[in-house]
Amino acid sequence: MTTPIEDFRFGPFVASVVWLLFWVLIIVTVIVLPLIFVILFYVPLPLVNGEVLTPYLFLSMMIDPTRTLPILNFLIYTEFFRVAVFPGFMYAALIAAATIFIERKFLARMQLRVGPSHAGREALGTGFEGLFQLVADGLKLVSKEIIIPAGADKPIFWAAPIAFVAAAAAVVCLIPVAPGWVVSNIDVGLIVAFAIFGFFPLIEVLFSWASNSKYPFIGGLRALHQLIAFEIPFILSALSVVILSGSLNLTEITYAQSSYWFILFLPISAFVFFMSSLAELERIPFDLPEAESEIVAGWLTETSGMIYGLIQLGTYVKLYALAALFVVLFLGGWMGPQIFPDQLGPPGEKPPLLQLLTLDGLYHGPTANAIFWFTAKTFLMIHLMLLIRGINPRIRIDILLHTGWYKLIVLSFINMFIALALIYGGVLGPGGLLTPN
Amino acid sequence: MSDQEERISETTRLGLEIVKEAEEDRLMTLSVGPQHPGSGHFRFTVKVDGDYIVDCDPDPGYVHRGEEKMCEYRNFIQNIPHLERPVIHDSSNITYSYSLAVEELVKIDVPRRAQFIRAIASELNRQVYTLYWLAIYGIFLGHSTMFMWPTGDRELLIDLLEALTGARVTHAYNIPGGVRNDIPYGFKDRCLRQVSYFEGRLKEYEDIFYNNPLLRQRTEGVAVLTKEDAIKLGVTGSVLRASGVPYDIRKAEPYDIYDEIDFNVQYMKTCDSFARAYVPLLDMRESCHIIRQLLDKMPESGEVRAKLQPNPKGPPGEAYRRVESGRGALGYYIVSDGTPRPYRVKISVGSFRNLLALPHLLVGSKLGDMPSVYWSLNYWPVEADR
Amino acid sequence: MSKSNGSPSGNDKGDVASIVASNNDLPTTSVEQGETGSSIASKPSSSSAVQLKSEKTDLPQFERGIVDGLVSKFGNSIKIIYIKPLRIKIEVPPKDIVEVASHIRDESGFDHAESVSATDYPKTGDIEVIYHLGSYTRENLSSHILALSTRTDRDNARLPSLIKVFKSVEYHERESFEMVGVYFDNHPRNDRFLLPEDWADIPPLRKEFRIKGR
Repeated sequence: MTTPIEDFRFGPFVASVVWLLFWVLIIVTVIVLPLIFVILFYVPLPLVNGEVLTPYLFLSMMIDPTRTLPILNFLIYTEFFRVAVFPGFMYAALIAAATIFIERKFLARMQLRVGPSHAGREALGTGFEGLFQLVADGLKLVSKEIIIPAGADKPIFWAAPIAFVAAAAAVVCLIPVAPGWVVSNIDVGLIVAFAIFGFFPLIEVLFSWASNSKYPFIGGLRALHQLIAFEIPFILSALSVVILSGSLNLTEITYAQSSYWFILFLPISAFVFFMSSLAELERIPFDLPEAESEIVAGWLTETSGMIYGLIQLGTYVKLYALAALFVVLFLGGWMGPQIFPDQLGPPGEKPPLLQLLTLDGLYHGPTANAIFWFTAKTFLMIHLMLLIRGINPRIRIDILLHTGWYKLIVLSFINMFIALALIYGGVLGPGGLLTPN
Repeated sequence: MSDQEERISETTRLGLEIVKEAEEDRLMTLSVGPQHPGSGHFRFTVKVDGDYIVDCDPDPGYVHRGEEKMCEYRNFIQNIPHLERPVIHDSSNITYSYSLAVEELVKIDVPRRAQFIRAIASELNRQVYTLYWLAIYGIFLGHSTMFMWPTGDRELLIDLLEALTGARVTHAYNIPGGVRNDIPYGFKDRCLRQVSYFEGRLKEYEDIFYNNPLLRQRTEGVAVLTKEDAIKLGVTGSVLRASGVPYDIRKAEPYDIYDEIDFNVQYMKTCDSFARAYVPLLDMRESCHIIRQLLDKMPESGEVRAKLQPNPKGPPGEAYRRVESGRGALGYYIVSDGTPRPYRVKISVGSFRNLLALPHLLVGSKLGDMPSVYWSLNYWPVEADR
Repeated sequence: MSKSNGSPSGNDKGDVASIVASNNDLPTTSVEQGETGSSIASKPSSSSAVQLKSEKTDLPQFERGIVDGLVSKFGNSIKIIYIKPLRIKIEVPPKDIVEVASHIRDESGFDHAESVSATDYPKTGDIEVIYHLGSYTRENLSSHILALSTRTDRDNARLPSLIKVFKSVEYHERESFEMVGVYFDNHPRNDRFLLPEDWADIPPLRKEFRIKGR
């Protein structure tokens, strides 16, 4: 099939393309279009601006900008949009992609290198060269063969990477990005987040066991040790935030920081949370489960192709989730000075194109401001997490466990008592000195 | 009765076997290398009980090229290019002691200027090797910056050596009777500038890597090779000096002009993994002083190569000469039977001698320490295999 | 030629070994300078290095002292091959080698083996194994190498291992076993080491092993 044709002739080639097009057209008109209409006949279509959103209306709206905005307006308030695009998966994945690019360039600058410098240079000019490297890597991973070791437990081997990404995305769902912009605003959001973080070691151990190989097995056990050792200081450090804010709801916690960020009162907790999240992420200096010079690639040894790609995606989404959680808990979430105007451009009647450009009716000043500050703070945290990688070696498992069980737990308790003292001393909390009225 | 006894003993034997099997089931045999990222061209199997290594069996030879046999088929000069293959990063040193031994056999005197140039080339090469070693040590410990920095700085030294010798890594520069070419114009200034820059960089290495508390935590007090053990196992080079024995061939048996150079033998008394990693850095710093002195004292002009016959040969005899290479004493034992070809060449390399310390140190240490202990032995697999 | 050789260096083996034995020249003395480098001999600048080496010409006294101690202990079983500055070579029959090595380690102060080389001499039908011994503990011996050699029949090459005396010979002896085929008694592993796992030829450093095409 893939062997090159010996005597290539242009005429037959064009003929084959035309033949292919012919069949595509036949199939679309005879089978696909009728099928769509049959389905649409039974599906109730939503109302947009008092009109039923038929496919024809949808197409005509795409052409006329004045009619596009209502659709957008309608779409971004649907549940689907929240889960799949904005505060949900797409946003997280975009930040993850940006993180990978920044990590490469930033580490390269630290290490007197240039980093990826070819993919995307022509398209984007200097300064952004290497932006498409991620696309290239992704395509490479997609096109690679997935090798499953003999004797592997196949269902678990296949399911674990998907579970990994799903668990990472589940944490993302809990994070409020702007007022009202959260996928699931539940009262026990923080506990749910920790509950989901508890899944990761389980997935890793399952996957390493399913790989049926020695190095993944050691890596999985290391992951289990590490994550259990750091889970407790992780939760304890967040507990002092709960004491100060009086709520487990992440949106409520953000609102509680409208005047003071909790990092002012809880610097030790913030430090403990940061270190524990590095350990949760298995990043250097805590990358023991995948220490390549000791146990090849740890629990990732037998991964290949898109299985590896999915796990990497999950890791970076998890990185975003933890950075965002830090921002929500300690850095005041989306709070920040108002720098966006209330309205883009002059109000009133505008030509349709300008209307689209200024997102008339869609733009909301405070929300844009919130998104900006939240994203900026998250990137700051991501940068800090990347910086650690450039300057530290890997630590040993016994030192790691010692750090987790002895030092971090004690530190987080200290800050918890400080938080309690602040509440009972009448500094914070209801009627406190620093509590805004 | 005897039948019953037999049966009992049979049961006991079976029971003991089961116990033994259960004990062995606790152990997991891990193969490190040759495709393992933490091994290089080298393989050793470790048995781990939990996180502790209980047994280690090195198995070198993946890059064995039979250098000693090849030497017997080529004449003294032809041997130079292939003898430097085992350590291309330290090629001036590995041909240095060969040249010394051949000079002893063929009875050549090396011009004074050539002795200086040789020493400069071999000191620069020592730094090139040590930087490469340090880079790998860095990445073994998961410190990616410490991989990139020495590799980048090594490039500058390689450029310098390229200007001096004409080749980037395989120089074939030290030959019996002197060096191949004179130094190029302006080399002295360039070399001094490079050395000054490099000394500044060494400080930065120390700041980012050696003073890192995480590195100190995981290497200090780990895998202690006591002075007595070091002497008993006959280790050499930085491993020996890290165990508190101030022994350097350049001081102990000064060859060429090293007896005119003023330098200190750097050694540490802590004997642990950190000391073994730190002594090479001290050596590099000392090497910078040596290069400065060499450049200062070098005669401005003169011959750089003694005249040799086309096919040099000496009277039958044998010679054992050694130099201090990046990995320790590097000795050549050459037997000549009066023909232009050596009758027998034995290369005694530092890596092969340090290898003996590997099982000694690994048994009882943790699996997480395996890369740091292994690479702190200053072991170059290709050189050990020869 | 045998100016610095105090002992009878006669070697009835003939061949290379005897030639090796009779070569007792000081290789780096300034005496021979005039013959080789014509331009150097006239230069005064090279004097300091040469002087230092020429001072060493009267040093063999020290080396003689080391050997005399051994000779007085073991008498005729030790054959002195040469005494050069910083280098001594003695030959010992296999049956005495462990005893002599222990004495060298305990009394003379050579505490480790730098290299173990086995050399095949098909013409005399034997294999010479040389232990190059050095010293880390004694300051005045740090530049000296004592070559302790012994010979065995090459058809039935067996020698007592020195591993009980010098731990450092372990891998060197193992290498000699596989490369030249000398079996070391009491060595824990006379085993394949550097060669491939499926090596099925004669030991490659034997002289009858020829590299293809050469």
